[in-house]
Amino acid sequence: MANQKSKPTKDPGKSLGRRTFLKAAAGVVGLPYFIPASAMGQDGNTAPSDRIVMAGVGIGNMGSGDLGAYLGRSDVQYVAVSDVKKGVRESSINRVNEKYGNKDCKAYNDFREIMVRDDIDAVHCATPDHWHALVVIEACRNGKDIFCQKPETRTLREGRLMINAARRYGRVVSGGSQRVLEDYRGTVNPCWNGDKGIIKSINVNVGPFPTDCNLKGEPIPTGFDWDRWLGPAPWAPYHPYRCSGSYNINGTSWRSFKDYSGGGMTDWGAHHFGGATFAIDVRELEPEEVIFHNENGRKYATCRYPNGKLLHHNYPGRGNLDVEGSNEKGPSKPVPGYAGTGGISGDFIDCVKTRKRPFRDIEYAVHTATVCHLFLIAYELERSLKWDTVTQQFINDDEANRLVDVARREPWVL
Amino acid sequence: MTSKETAKMTLAAGAATMAAAKAVAATDTTAIDKALETLKTYDWGADRNTLNPIDEAIIATHGDAAARKSLEKGLVNALAGGISRSAQDYVCRKLRVVGTDQSIKALAALLPDEKTSHIARYALGRIPDEKATATMRDALPKVSSKLKPGIIGSLGVRRDKKSINAISKLLGDSDIQVAQAAAYSLGLIGTSAAAKELSNFAKKAPANMKIPVADACLICAEQLLADGEKSEAVALYKELKGDDQPKHVKVAAMKGMLTAAAEN
Repeated sequence: MANQKSKPTKDPGKSLGRRTFLKAAAGVVGLPYFIPASAMGQDGNTAPSDRIVMAGVGIGNMGSGDLGAYLGRSDVQYVAVSDVKKGVRESSINRVNEKYGNKDCKAYNDFREIMVRDDIDAVHCATPDHWHALVVIEACRNGKDIFCQKPETRTLREGRLMINAARRYGRVVSGGSQRVLEDYRGTVNPCWNGDKGIIKSINVNVGPFPTDCNLKGEPIPTGFDWDRWLGPAPWAPYHPYRCSGSYNINGTSWRSFKDYSGGGMTDWGAHHFGGATFAIDVRELEPEEVIFHNENGRKYATCRYPNGKLLHHNYPGRGNLDVEGSNEKGPSKPVPGYAGTGGISGDFIDCVKTRKRPFRDIEYAVHTATVCHLFLIAYELERSLKWDTVTQQFINDDEANRLVDVARREPWVL
Repeated sequence: MTSKETAKMTLAAGAATMAAAKAVAATDTTAIDKALETLKTYDWGADRNTLNPIDEAIIATHGDAAARKSLEKGLVNALAGGISRSAQDYVCRKLRVVGTDQSIKALAALLPDEKTSHIARYALGRIPDEKATATMRDALPKVSSKLKPGIIGSLGVRRDKKSINAISKLLGDSDIQVAQAAAYSLGLIGTSAAAKELSNFAKKAPANMKIPVADACLICAEQLLADGEKSEAVALYKELKGDDQPKHVKVAAMKGMLTAAAEN
């Protein structure tokens, strides 16, 4: 939190108290000295010195919604945005500055400039998926807590790196998907209440798979840093469909393409598999096997957990989130939920304050994404695979292990 | 479902896959040849589906070394034959999965070129052959500063001990992206020699390298600990708990020391 900082600073302004700094800055750079009473905590809201100082990375589409959620909180002071689209940056800082009645919000093309700011406590990230690991890990190594939209990973290897970074630095790192808790109560509650008895399996129907993208190039729009949008992904010519943030997964959005996403399998999969693993209470586990089925061309797959529970994908004849249990009354246990108020973003902010793990702690979120990737690799290779949860390698399958990660385009390393 | 049923399911699925593989391998040679021929004119905007027989052959030839070698040779020949960037991109993606030492020379030729260096690593970085590592190691001093971070990163992921000297020399590079990649990769390599280089550089690191080097030291210490080099890991952690470090780094170092202490 802002009042907990004692870091050495390069900026002399930062060695001043926040209020003193605001006063000094107003005099030096012509910022308005008038500060609304609400900003000073005189309307019953949190005083600035006690607010979580936040910034956003990737603030179009989902990021815009997240920005709104954090901006609407009295215990958050929003100070910076980063996006590769100039128009998005400008509209976002205007939105923030309008809210606070000042011009304090700063915009950056390069998210790393946000990460090195000593005054920022927490960040939210809603970039395309191929950026998530780089942004989350950069936040952690700079001592920042971070909320990352789902699906949190683009490759299997990224997941463990993100968990390690969070744990190494003791950061609060929350994954996304508000649906895991909010949309699947009809499935989750009977499982946790014991109404389903001993859980044997659950099925998820989700798709489609991601595809390669070979779209022909078009002129890059003014104000769009295309090279930075691509970032660690292979170079490709600009095309509006390649980078569209549309939620359609039909070849007209980045969510459709392998370089940036796992397609519907990870995009909606993060929700459905997140809900499924929550329902059958395997959030803390990774599957140790994925079994590929091809019955006369009808392909489906099953993840098997170390405790024997099965997570099916597209199992013939079973509906989405269909639970198979012993159906005898079993023991009931309380269903976990969010901390604080304000849904998943409120949960994150509360955990930033209390240092507890959020509902979608990065470990749970990564485990969900891992399920998605295991399925994708099994379908791509069309064979069953055994997964070593410790080494994060497939057992006796060098070819599958090649798909555990990708080489990143320079200068990005992970 | 019982574990017996699961095992039965696995066997059935495996048998079906094998049968499918044999079927495809037996019938689609012409389609594969046609797809390989298509690569000569393939470019951005072309129908990606025309290359599907190659994708299908990769699945079908799993476990068939001769068929796989033949497929790989077709891809390598295409790469060496002067094809568009889009076609190069496609071939390298496939060599990521099926590439062997047979592909390395053709991929090495792409490493120094700013347009193709990354996609060459996309394949090379995942080919589990020491020659692939050596190729990237040899290329490192020859490529431009712009390309160096990528190659350094790929060598780090492979934990290439033989690269430590070359990478260490880049810790003080004037290009911050090269220097940061060097630090991170030394952390990933995570040996005593890598730790020594990081430790030496940490004492003179410029301000913009403090966090990257501290991060690399922590990663290196974790790797040392995992490899049973407890005393060296602890030594590295001790260097990070001084007041010159940010609070979160000091806390990470303390946590690391506690973890080390708990290990027998």
